[in-house]
Amino acid sequence: MTTRPMNAADRGEGPYLWRFSPLNRTLHALVIVSFLGLVMTGLPLKFAYAPWAQVLVRFVGGVTAAGIIHRICAVITFGYFLTHVGYIVYRLFTSRDRLSIVWGPNSMTPQLKDLQDIVAMFKWFLGKGPRPRFERYSYMEKFDYWAVFWGVAIIGTSGLMLWFPGFFARFLPGWAFNIATIIHSDEALLATAFIFTIHFFNVHLRPEKFPIDTVIFTGRATTGYMKEEHELEYARAAQDGTLQARVAPPASRAAYLWSVTVGFISLALGIVLVVLVAWALLH
Amino acid sequence: MFKWILMLGCLLGLAAVGARAQGGSRGRGETVQCAKCHASHDFLVGKGRKPGEDTLLFVPPTILAGTVHDTLLCTSCHRGYEEGYPHAATLPLVAPCQTCHEREGRDWQASIHAANAETKGDAPTCVRCHGSHVIYSNKDPRSPTYRLNVAAKCGSCHGDQRIIGTYFATPAKEQGRIAAAQYPKSVHGVAMTRDGLVVSATCSDCHRAHRILPPDSIGSSVYRDSIPATCGQCHSGLVRTFEASAHGPTYPRAHPDTIHRPVCADCHSAHGIVRIDRPGWLIGVVGECGKCHERLYETYFDTYHGKVTRLGFDVAAKCSDCHTAHDMRPPTDPQSSVSPTHLVATCGRCHAGSNQNFTEYYAHGDPRQRLKYPRLYWPWLFMTCLLVGVMAFFGLHTTLWVTRIAIDHRRGRGEEKTGGHS
Repeated sequence: MTTRPMNAADRGEGPYLWRFSPLNRTLHALVIVSFLGLVMTGLPLKFAYAPWAQVLVRFVGGVTAAGIIHRICAVITFGYFLTHVGYIVYRLFTSRDRLSIVWGPNSMTPQLKDLQDIVAMFKWFLGKGPRPRFERYSYMEKFDYWAVFWGVAIIGTSGLMLWFPGFFARFLPGWAFNIATIIHSDEALLATAFIFTIHFFNVHLRPEKFPIDTVIFTGRATTGYMKEEHELEYARAAQDGTLQARVAPPASRAAYLWSVTVGFISLALGIVLVVLVAWALLH
Repeated sequence: MFKWILMLGCLLGLAAVGARAQGGSRGRGETVQCAKCHASHDFLVGKGRKPGEDTLLFVPPTILAGTVHDTLLCTSCHRGYEEGYPHAATLPLVAPCQTCHEREGRDWQASIHAANAETKGDAPTCVRCHGSHVIYSNKDPRSPTYRLNVAAKCGSCHGDQRIIGTYFATPAKEQGRIAAAQYPKSVHGVAMTRDGLVVSATCSDCHRAHRILPPDSIGSSVYRDSIPATCGQCHSGLVRTFEASAHGPTYPRAHPDTIHRPVCADCHSAHGIVRIDRPGWLIGVVGECGKCHERLYETYFDTYHGKVTRLGFDVAAKCSDCHTAHDMRPPTDPQSSVSPTHLVATCGRCHAGSNQNFTEYYAHGDPRQRLKYPRLYWPWLFMTCLLVGVMAFFGLHTTLWVTRIAIDHRRGRGEEKTGGHS
């Protein structure tokens, strides 16, 4: 039994195993901070007519401050995006097992198995089959990853157009800024709605994980957790003898408290924001 | 004529003069004659028509000294009293001021004040504003009609709750209710009272001094169609521009069925006029434009300009930034600030990189209008489908998942940990 039953990553038997590298954890922390900043300063603009828009703007320090925060968070976003892409490229050139980065069970690339898992998952939902067992990344995690990848690319590009219209007007017609506005705003709304409902449910709020899973913050989870969430990856590691190399010490108390605090604040903020969106849309 | 007698009699003390034939020669001696009685408190005891009015009859012989009526005699105004004492009971109490001030008298006769003075009895006559014996020129700072004093004089009635309740109770007369309270805070009132700027506008500049009429009266200086001319007395340059614009009376109307064109007071208000650089003022005007330009108002608020303006940011473009404040014209007019020839410069007022490309921005683009804005419609449709599609798929995914968990939990079929494989 664990002394931290609130945290999904601490539940289950056995030694802790590494799941996320320090770089990935750092980048995800930057995603959280910048995304919350972007949403809090972008939503009031999109829903300027909503009764809460003025309140939220005042909360972040006024319209001018909101604009500055939005751009700072945009720079952070470009930063983590380019760091990640740069790291992938670096690994492609230096890794001995470069194929596994772009293909196979350890990669983020959608595989035939992901399609089969989706079908199996729906069958399980309907009581017509067993629950599928996942590899290192489930199709849900891959969707999250590619959603951010696609999202940053197109929200980022359209955002840059709106940030520097004078430069882009040298070679783009003016109505491209209308389109950029539509894309920027609707894709951001999709990201907000998705992250703060579906992503939150999948990784924190469903009964197995409730109320929080710190694996993305501390990078490690118990063997029991890994067997449950990523059974096939665990089985592979057990078979090829790499399991021992992945054993990790439990996260320190400070790291745990910090993770839980940041996690809960982010969850709460996200849920408040998505409720505001729903309020504005139903208004 | 009777109303003259009635009204002025209420306010003026009677001045009787000694025996002197009407039309006879006038002189200082006449005043001395009147003073024999009217400068004597003792004599006047019990002479008033009502108790307590005795003191009203007290008029010292020097009362006109130094006033504009310095050279007049008592009988110049109090006609018929030349016959001496005791005065005939049928004598008119006072002579009308318009004997001399003919034009002012005529103007007053046509005013709402005259109409109400006759029927209700509490509207001002000459003396209410100018005083009775002690009258100074309106160039004299001591006069209640000196420019710096006019607003206070008008406000003595128009700020009175009883007057407001009697005459300005209906919703249409809101301006009448708020005038006295708002004017001192307005740009005109502040300039006048705080800065002592006598060229600023005061009540009588817009409403006239004597021929004061309500705004629904065609002859009024504040009648809707007359407002530009009234403001134009001072703001001459602006009004000329405005009257030549699409809002002017002679510009070919794009919407012939519209009854009203906007006039100065619609955007600037009547009594609460403030400087346009006061925070939030220009943002408020957008709503005023939107009262008629409904569709453009809606689409404006779909754009970044409109959204950030709605949040209270007053740097982004508002109606007047692109369309000008007074010289607004449709884009088809070559003189328009939003005509193709002027757009680069108009956008360039804010956007340093403005060029021909830049001006192809749809400042009022509406992606839902497929035929008018096909370039916006298709990207919008795609994004909407993507949003709805993704959320629908994962919404279903999550809903079914929750349902599965609930079913397993109820049946007790799943283990305590619902993640266990069934």
